[in-house]
Amino acid sequence: MGTAVTTLIKDSPPDTPQARPGPPAAVKRRGRRENLAGYLFMSPWIAGFLLLTAGPMAASLYFAFTDYNLFDSPKWIGLDNFTKMLDDPRWQKSVEVTAKYVVIGTPLKLLLALGVALLLAQSRRGQAFYRAAFYAPSLIGASVSVGFVWRALFSDDAVVDRTQSFFGWDVGGWVGNPDWVLYSLVALTVWQFGAPMVIFLAGLKQVPKELYEAAEVDGAGPFKRFWSITLPMISPVLFFNVLLETIHSFQIFGSAYVVSNATCGPADSTLVYTCYLYQKGFKEAQMGFASAMAWMLLLAVALVTAVLFWSQKRWVHYEEASR
Amino acid sequence: MERTATSRGGPTVGENGSVERRTVLKAAGASLATLGLATTTACGGDSGGSGDGTVEIRFAWWGAEERAKRINQTIALFEKKYPKIKVKTDFQDYVAFWEKFQTQAAGGNPPDVFQNAVAYLRKYDKRSVLLDLKSQVDAGNLSLKNFRAGVEKVGEVDGKLLGIPVGSNTMSLVLDEKVFEKAGIKPEEGWTWDEYFAALKKIHDSQKVAGDTGYFGIMYLYDLYLRQNGKAFFTEDGLGFDEADLTEWWQDGYNRVKAGIITDPKKVEQNKPKSSLASGDAASEFTWDNFTVRYATEGDSTYGLAPIPTTDGKQTGQYLSSLMLSGSARTKHPKEVAQFIDFMVHDPEVGKIMGYDRGILATTEQFDAYKPTDAPNQAIAKYEEDVAAAGVLGTITPHPAGADTVEAAFLRIAGDLSQGKTKVSDAVKQFFSEAETALAA
Repeated sequence: MGTAVTTLIKDSPPDTPQARPGPPAAVKRRGRRENLAGYLFMSPWIAGFLLLTAGPMAASLYFAFTDYNLFDSPKWIGLDNFTKMLDDPRWQKSVEVTAKYVVIGTPLKLLLALGVALLLAQSRRGQAFYRAAFYAPSLIGASVSVGFVWRALFSDDAVVDRTQSFFGWDVGGWVGNPDWVLYSLVALTVWQFGAPMVIFLAGLKQVPKELYEAAEVDGAGPFKRFWSITLPMISPVLFFNVLLETIHSFQIFGSAYVVSNATCGPADSTLVYTCYLYQKGFKEAQMGFASAMAWMLLLAVALVTAVLFWSQKRWVHYEEASR
Repeated sequence: MERTATSRGGPTVGENGSVERRTVLKAAGASLATLGLATTTACGGDSGGSGDGTVEIRFAWWGAEERAKRINQTIALFEKKYPKIKVKTDFQDYVAFWEKFQTQAAGGNPPDVFQNAVAYLRKYDKRSVLLDLKSQVDAGNLSLKNFRAGVEKVGEVDGKLLGIPVGSNTMSLVLDEKVFEKAGIKPEEGWTWDEYFAALKKIHDSQKVAGDTGYFGIMYLYDLYLRQNGKAFFTEDGLGFDEADLTEWWQDGYNRVKAGIITDPKKVEQNKPKSSLASGDAASEFTWDNFTVRYATEGDSTYGLAPIPTTDGKQTGQYLSSLMLSGSARTKHPKEVAQFIDFMVHDPEVGKIMGYDRGILATTEQFDAYKPTDAPNQAIAKYEEDVAAAGVLGTITPHPAGADTVEAAFLRIAGDLSQGKTKVSDAVKQFFSEAETALAA
């Protein structure tokens, strides 16, 4: 096609005023026509974006400032939803539960991902098998069925409970225990460390071997080599993983919903932010409040992301000249 | 394309342009088609009539596999009798059903006929979702004859007929009969709350089984207790009790959890969706009498029904509640909807198929057609006869709009309380604040 196009331009009809500066009109027309074609080809996507993403977002931003029960038309109430939210003990609880989940779950997951990536980075026999095996949970982990499996594993008198009791540490199942059940959700996300692990592996492969050789000659031990070479060299990858996993953690919903048997309990102990949002919107029909909650979440995630970006100049090293 | 180009000695802009234009037009057409398709799917699904006069109505209900099987059989019967009406069904479990229904109703596309309950009548009437069936009764498409014990009044709210009952049920106390026998306790009509809790303590002390699964979180039971004391859970537009009442009810409940005569709430949570009574972690549970069938399939013991404890040795506060069938105010086929409901509540064959799955059959035709042969269903039939004979039955207060949210909050906050996560005083305050919001919405 590319060659045909150039031929076409050369063969432009004689009535084109060649003398004028700038591209000939035919070329302009062509360009416009090509743009038009491009837009038309994109139109299904653009329509989809406007109808399914931009439209709903604009609507939800509007609803956030209204009292809207899905049936009667929305009533403008300004910032009331936001002030009500801050006073709502269940909203506070949902923020607390989510924060706990993010702060405990994300670092554990990344530590495990990095640790296993370091082990798997070396050439060993059966390496491909181990990589696949550790990655597998990431593929299936988000599914509802795994949530059910988790609920079964951590129930009273199930595998986890029995193992614990065997070691004389008796708490009963985690699922019904408000002090423990959140940690079963943390375990579920940590178990899915495969995705960040693969990214770490790619990062580790990029670290030049000569650096390690030079360090070894200078007498640096394994820990020193990790601290002074590996970590700084993979810091961009680490940054990427921290960012992605943090954002991801804030949005936890499915596992909390399934493990708690759709109640986000017991005693609101798994009332993660999105679970409360869902209850407000779809169970109590307070769509305005739910929309306001959604925008607060967006703000919070944006804020955390901004802080992470701001912090990166202190610990993330980009090797400009190395490649 | 290249071939054409060489044979014609190079294409001209015009020619090529037109080729392109065609492609572009096609692409545009395709994307418009996609859009068009999307629009039809979004707005479509109207149960429209087709050329030969056949209409389709959608019927939605909550329940599980067993109920689905029975309902599909009854629909097959209906379609045989009314070949011009096709019924499309849809079902979920209770919670998912109302979530989906709410979204559909808000979108102006609720099912034509659906299962309903007293907590939702005012809520959806207020939002003009429910069809007033009065005119269909007047038109002769739906008969109100032969309902047992005036149960058809259950669906009447503010002079409108919003639902037709398919079966009736009443609150009861379900027992693990083996445990109660071993403890030597025989519940009797008119027994008091003190006697009930003494029985639980005896069971706990003699057999190391907790007594009850957590009575103080059940809204419908608290309603009975309030009625025994001349109050009620709901008035027509709000709550019929105050903070002091609830504080007492919950404080006693919490003390009994601590004393071990109520099942450990952690255990109850872990047993879900199974009941702790069926799993052997409790000796009794307050619930609707038609649920007895459920325990028989879930658990290993034998389960029987006992009278509700009383305050004065007489009044239990009980009333008949009911599952209903309602129509959508937006249905295009109100006549067919009425005919369908009429068939479902009056046809004797339907009664035989459904049994007591949705409570004791509401009309005499169906009640007489079905004679239970299995122990749980026989027990339910006898229980309702006994309750009716005892003359304790009152009438249900139609719940105000928002009652469903209030019920969910009551259950949840009582749960937090029993887990020791909230103080009684805080729990009571939180309940009243959430109830106020829900009832005002």
